[in-house]
Amino acid sequence: MSRAFSLMLLFARISVQNFAAYRADFFLRGIMSLVQLAAELIVVDTIFHNTETLAGWRLPHMLVLVGVYRMVAGGIRIYIVPNMRRVLEDIREGTLDFVLLKPVNSQLLVSIREFVFWRMTDLIYGGTAAAIGASMLAQDIGVKQIATFVFMLAAGFAIIYSVWLALATVGFWFIRVQNIEMVFWNVFEAGRFPVMIYPYWVQWSLTFLVPLAFITTFPAGTLLADPATGVPAAAPYYAAGIAVVSVLLSSWFWRFGLKHYSGASA
Amino acid sequence: MSHLLRAFPAFLRVSIQAMLQYRGEILLWCMWGIVNPTVLYVMWSAATRGAPDGKIAGLDQNGFAVYYFFLLIVGHLTAAWDVYNMSYLVRKGQLSPLLLRPILPMWESLSSNLAYKITTLMFAAPMWLIFILITQPSFQTEWWQVGLGTIALLLGAALNYMLCYTVALVAFWTTKLDAVGEIYFGLGMLLGGRMAPVDALPPYLQIASELLPFKWMFAFPVEVLAGMRDDVNSVTRGLLIQAVWVVLVVMVFRMGWHLAVKRYSAVSG
Repeated sequence: MSRAFSLMLLFARISVQNFAAYRADFFLRGIMSLVQLAAELIVVDTIFHNTETLAGWRLPHMLVLVGVYRMVAGGIRIYIVPNMRRVLEDIREGTLDFVLLKPVNSQLLVSIREFVFWRMTDLIYGGTAAAIGASMLAQDIGVKQIATFVFMLAAGFAIIYSVWLALATVGFWFIRVQNIEMVFWNVFEAGRFPVMIYPYWVQWSLTFLVPLAFITTFPAGTLLADPATGVPAAAPYYAAGIAVVSVLLSSWFWRFGLKHYSGASA
Repeated sequence: MSHLLRAFPAFLRVSIQAMLQYRGEILLWCMWGIVNPTVLYVMWSAATRGAPDGKIAGLDQNGFAVYYFFLLIVGHLTAAWDVYNMSYLVRKGQLSPLLLRPILPMWESLSSNLAYKITTLMFAAPMWLIFILITQPSFQTEWWQVGLGTIALLLGAALNYMLCYTVALVAFWTTKLDAVGEIYFGLGMLLGGRMAPVDALPPYLQIASELLPFKWMFAFPVEVLAGMRDDVNSVTRGLLIQAVWVVLVVMVFRMGWHLAVKRYSAVSG
């Protein structure tokens, strides 16, 4: 375990060092990510310029959701997507051999090689937006709510990680799957707004088939702890269950997929 | 002019053939174009339920279904992406051979733009139909609005294409065009009537939307096609404004292109 952790730190350090060579780029990207947040806040402003509630969600609620969306979208781009993109590349090029030859658990190694340091800005911006939204609420937010919220976010990341690991594993059979990323962001787009706005069957699919609800709507909802948002009180229990099951399933699927990997010499 | 008339159909044929190799990718690009407006339609129709009289900017739930149905079509047919492409062409040195041809590189880019819109219809049209089947909107568009709306759509497509290509010329000065592209697309989204109908925007956005050309690319054609503009005079005036914008942007492009080519130095690929 401590070995895994020191490996993680090592890769992160290398990434940061590589990145330090592009300082101007860092500032430009930081500004762009701020502009993106501003655009998302403008959308919220436009919505509440016209209406009082969006499926039970009011302005402070939506601010929290926007913050969570930004944090999650940024978090995915720090670790998950860049690593999985590289796995898919490795499978196609046959360079996954080099990963498998290393005396480390392959799943661990493919999950930590890339670390997009500057995307941390998204966590800061998103966290700030969420905090501002939460401070606008009438009632105070307790330590327990914050703890549950952090737990929900972690469970959400575990679910997304598993989904991505499974998608990358599909690459063992269908080599040309670079477009998977586009499909993912397409679906993720639906998480910008509370899932309660969708018709019942879409809501159900976004909760149980593609557990998007657990990634943005439910974490925001647990922080708010307001029955008007329509987030079930038992959401943390479901989230824990789904996170554990998806991590185990995707890990099993990865090992199963590895057996089908035969290298690629071309 | 006559060599352009001979070259362009050839370009178009090649582009369509090239596009047809990527049927799977085309399907995914189409999905991208359909998810965003659909999510926004669902969001606004949920918002109307929270509005005092069930209407936002004069549109009820059905109004939003009609609006976003036409936005699907207009968004697809006015699409342009040179602002993303150009920096790649410059950086990889792929622009050099294009510049040596006795014809503007823009014509080839225009042919691939049209080829995309033609070949993607086979996926996009069924998706539009599914949108209608699910949302069941009732249309109030009259025939004259269909006619003038189609002209507005063509002018909107021309305007977006020309402005996008003109902004893309920034690539000759800096290779960091991604940020410019994001901002261009974002402005179209916020001010062009895609994120919300222009009438639903807060005052500060409405002012910006009046000053910039984006609403003449997307919002105006959609409003005419959706039957939201009853007055023939206001529609013809709108067409005129669109035409003025197109001419203006073409003039800026001609100047910009002249400067850009002078400044161009290839990057070896």
